[in-house]
Amino acid sequence: MARIARRTLMQAAAGAALAMPALHTADAQARKLVFGGSIPLSGGAAETGLNVNNGYATAVKFINEQGGVDIAGTKYQLELKLFDDASDPSRAVTLIQRLIDDNVNFFLGSFGSNIVLPTAAITERAEKPMVQAGGGSDQIFTQGNRYVFGMFPRATRQFQSTVAFFRTLNPAPKTFSVIATNDAFSKTFAAGIVKDMQGGGFQLIENYLLPEHISDASSVLASVRAKTPDMLLCAMHDQNSLLLARQMIATGTNVGLLFQGLGPQLASYREALGRHASGIFYSTYWDPRTTWKDPFFESPGAFAAYYARHNTRPIAYHVAAGAACIITYVTAMQAARSIDPVRVRDALAATDLETLYGRVRFTAEGDGDAVAMGPSVGQVLKGAGEVVYPAGGRTAELLWPVPAWDKKI
Amino acid sequence: MLALQTILDGLVLGGLYALAAVGFSLIFGVLGVVNLSHGAIVMIGAYLTWFLWHSTGLDPLLCIPPVMLVLFAFGYVYQRGLIQLAVDRSSLLASMLVTFGVALMLRNLLVLVFSPDFKSISPGWAFSFLRLAGGVTIDLVRISALGASLALLGALAYVLNRTRIGRVIRATAQQELAARLCGVNARHVYAVTFGVSAAFAGASGAILGIVLPFAPPDEANWTLNAFVVVVLGGIGSPSGALLGGLLLGLISTATSQLIGPAFPNAMMFLILVLMLMVRPSGLLGNAFAGSR
Repeated sequence: MARIARRTLMQAAAGAALAMPALHTADAQARKLVFGGSIPLSGGAAETGLNVNNGYATAVKFINEQGGVDIAGTKYQLELKLFDDASDPSRAVTLIQRLIDDNVNFFLGSFGSNIVLPTAAITERAEKPMVQAGGGSDQIFTQGNRYVFGMFPRATRQFQSTVAFFRTLNPAPKTFSVIATNDAFSKTFAAGIVKDMQGGGFQLIENYLLPEHISDASSVLASVRAKTPDMLLCAMHDQNSLLLARQMIATGTNVGLLFQGLGPQLASYREALGRHASGIFYSTYWDPRTTWKDPFFESPGAFAAYYARHNTRPIAYHVAAGAACIITYVTAMQAARSIDPVRVRDALAATDLETLYGRVRFTAEGDGDAVAMGPSVGQVLKGAGEVVYPAGGRTAELLWPVPAWDKKI
Repeated sequence: MLALQTILDGLVLGGLYALAAVGFSLIFGVLGVVNLSHGAIVMIGAYLTWFLWHSTGLDPLLCIPPVMLVLFAFGYVYQRGLIQLAVDRSSLLASMLVTFGVALMLRNLLVLVFSPDFKSISPGWAFSFLRLAGGVTIDLVRISALGASLALLGALAYVLNRTRIGRVIRATAQQELAARLCGVNARHVYAVTFGVSAAFAGASGAILGIVLPFAPPDEANWTLNAFVVVVLGGIGSPSGALLGGLLLGLISTATSQLIGPAFPNAMMFLILVLMLMVRPSGLLGNAFAGSR
């Protein structure tokens, strides 16, 4: 009996010893919070996609270095499962479906409305939240989605603060033309521009629509020279913005004010245009010199410094927006005291939080609140991007009126 | 005056299309291979020029000869080492699939080496322009690009029509067996043709880089443009590429002006379909064996 008991005891001990690593692994896995998604690391959207990806990765790295995050008394380490979608919506859809099948509960967005839109449809069906810093098209937020949250206001609401800025200019511009490219974001952004500008009392001269990929804009610019507006407002992605600006300079196409929603934020854009970039206006959602308080990074400046220590790629506002997605997620989980996707979704919907990116508050449809998360107006001055509106966040004096291309220094 | 500006813009754009397509046309005409990596080679030319200009400050137009030399060597090795193998062991269709795979690899290699960020080549004269009578303007970059394109196309036409190697290439393209019987090393000729095509693709990349910002994914557009130019103009000759390119440029700017700036691509493909139905050999179609 004693022998049997001893054998049983030894077997039990051996079994327990064998099981320990497995139990330990299971425990470690249970304490990992996985965020899944696809991101364009190659293809046409890769330039900004890399910035968003770096924002996600920087926030996760920092939080893990601090020992992880405490949710309802349990410590979690964060883990990213992000795959390159090559800027291809169909590839992104396949990747997201695979992550859903792998029981990933929390999703981060890709970059580009054309990718966010179909991938959000999948996460929505699976009732898994997606927080994203890459899709601003209205369609993402007007189709009844409950689980998708965006770090920007929907495209048609992104121009309201810029119109308010234009109304402060003296001498006052009166007329405007719009040039947009034929893609999901740019078209809706342009529609918002026209609506808000006309609502602000400005007169529309022409509304041009170009193909998604521009190789030549000379015809449109000939028309702009023939019917010159006070303001030329461009809704297109970075590469197209640079092409258009270059062609404007190289054909002597002068307007009183050139606004390009995307492009001038990038150092590569400003370097390519040199002194000619001076005075060009753009939207900016973030500046490291602002004084927001962040629950993890303390301030935008501290985030920028940490990012610079661990990355060689220059920081851009999409980096901060990506990091804010992680901060917002984690804070919502803490508020929900749960990692249940439905409860986290409800906490996300109720978020009203100060982060390194600014105040994060979503509308009932999930896009960023147009007042709290709307853009500031930036202007290229002496080769750098500066905030010129609103006055409270101004980092440099406005250059107005803007000199003609050949008078810029 | 708007009409004159439109025609001028169309011709300038057409010159770029023509130069970018001539290499594609030559390979299709002589080897019968639809080179789907053509756009990627154009992009390599743009990146090499950017690298030389950025690191040495050399004027981008002066970068064209070294870029052509490097890409000639690349094209020669590419054809002898890969395309010829695919043709020998399987079929021309297999070689097309090989070029598609190579295009994907080259695109990702460019991303790895140069990052996915777009680049642009902006020499000191990039922002100068000429104002002609009646307010017609033309930028110096595009007019230089057109000039360089015409000069290079002229040089290629001279080589093909007036030199010994040109005669050998044409002879091999027309009757490979007869050329072999006359002692021509057809494999070497094919590789030289591929090298010349790659060199011209590289030159067009250098010029495009001065005119447009570029990124690795743009390669697909330049392959597609080359295909349309070749179908329009005819296969295998610089004059066909020039005619197709100029027509495409004019169609593009005229559509943009008369119908709407969003429609040049739609019109381009409509013309492509019509040409394939009505005159599949192109306006200056020839009887080169490879493309028959």
